Amino acid sequence: MLTETHLLQLIQLASPALPVGAYSYSEGLETLVHTAVLTNAERLEHWLTQELQHGAVRVEAGVMVRAYQAAIAANYAELAAWNQWLSAFRETEELREQSWQMGRSLVRLLQELAPDLNAAIAACGEQVHFAIAFALAAAHWQIDSNAMLLGYLHSWATNLVNAGIKLIPLGQTVGQKLLLRLHPRLEETAAVALTLSDSQLECCSWGLAIASMNHETLYSRLFRS
Amino acid sequence: MTDCAKTAEPSEQQPALRTAASRLCPVSVAAANWQGRLALTFCDRQGETYLSRCFVQAPLKVQRPFYPEGRGVCHGVMLHTAGGIVGGDRLSTMLQLEANAHALLTTATAGKVYRSNGQEAQQEVQISLASGACLEWLPQETIVFNGAEFRQQLRVDLEAGALWMGWEIARLGRSARGERFVCGNWRSHTQVWQAGKLIWVDPQWVAGGSEMIESLHGLAGYPVIASFALLGHPVSSELVERVRSLWEALPEQEVRSQHGVPGNALTHVGVTRLMSGLLCRYRGTSTQEARRWFTAVWHLLRWELLNRPPCLPRVW
Repeated sequence: MLTETHLLQLIQLASPALPVGAYSYSEGLETLVHTAVLTNAERLEHWLTQELQHGAVRVEAGVMVRAYQAAIAANYAELAAWNQWLSAFRETEELREQSWQMGRSLVRLLQELAPDLNAAIAACGEQVHFAIAFALAAAHWQIDSNAMLLGYLHSWATNLVNAGIKLIPLGQTVGQKLLLRLHPRLEETAAVALTLSDSQLECCSWGLAIASMNHETLYSRLFRS
Repeated sequence: MTDCAKTAEPSEQQPALRTAASRLCPVSVAAANWQGRLALTFCDRQGETYLSRCFVQAPLKVQRPFYPEGRGVCHGVMLHTAGGIVGGDRLSTMLQLEANAHALLTTATAGKVYRSNGQEAQQEVQISLASGACLEWLPQETIVFNGAEFRQQLRVDLEAGALWMGWEIARLGRSARGERFVCGNWRSHTQVWQAGKLIWVDPQWVAGGSEMIESLHGLAGYPVIASFALLGHPVSSELVERVRSLWEALPEQEVRSQHGVPGNALTHVGVTRLMSGLLCRYRGTSTQEARRWFTAVWHLLRWELLNRPPCLPRVW
């Protein structure tokens, strides 16, 4: 069980108010709405469910577990290796830039909130992924790894549901219902991520990759990915 | 110059038997497996590339190298002499290019991975390119039969100034005869390292019969998936734009509308920059279409980065 202190720290970390600019990214959803592929809440729910079950975010969650354990063990070489792995894994330039930009913002914040993390952050090198910075914060505050994953995945889902609300568009209540329906999927993905072996860090996200690759060719864009 | 030592045949199995066995469903007889190996080393001598070492173990083989564009680029054709891959096979290819060597490798025919007997077929490819070396890795497409259990691991190590261009084209299920990929697994995990630093990880997995096959997030019902990657050289956004325009310039787009998805380039092809290179993805209905686009991309990059005109392998 999370202590009250841990719960509050996690809520702060996973909040949409965390100043990392998450709201400016759609992770390909803008392309899908533009091409009339994503037209309603059901299709958005299906898309997010697929990403949780087979996609990049599942692999990312698995990498967060590794970074979290490396941080706790103060194994900075391992930590840096997983941070680099994530850079190499990011399928498109926009997704990589997003992950780095949000990571930079969170790192700047953590330097103020948790100066003890400076050595770990420095070990990661120039670019620190948002997911890695999130794992560092969770390790620092001793939030357990399953709770960390639930918080991270919830913030990810909230952000993309909000992007869907603006783009499709959907009503706020429809969005909240969708988010609530995703909760069991978030729990499943967190549980799976804790058990993945290195060779199971694999995914099938051709639709995401192609949508993200084409985002930069859209004539007018509300989002940065 | 070439010393192709052929070693023992590890199995008495014949291609015809193997093909027939694979048609049985499910295959119950555990066939003797191949432990195929191919190890090639290419070296550069004053601007000329030679195959300096060659070790083959059936069913893998390599044809005598040839030089359709002069001694600067050594062209090689790899063969799988057993007709296809079955569960339990272990194939290993190791390629080493010494400093400044330049080779182009392809395969003689499309590869086939048959329905599994329950075991996984594994193919491992390790490529190491010394400083200034270049490898164009252009195998023909692989047809993955329904029920196949296939895992490929490809690792490329680049020293400073080395360049790798490669593609992979896979058809999941013999879709020309209406076969769908309803069971089995296709895995293709790629890692590329540059001067000891990991620069590209691509751990692809498709589970037969899963939602991945039909969902828009996955393959959207398309049986053909293909990737082209260039690594080892930074690419400008202007070049990415030109690579995209090559798709638009193809004579005829064969991708058809499926699942209410408009037959729109934005939903089935894409191009992006990698940390030190470029990646193209295709999901569609035609291996030929993927190959036409990738060939055009390859030719453009050849001009831009290697200052070489196109030269198609003679076996295509």
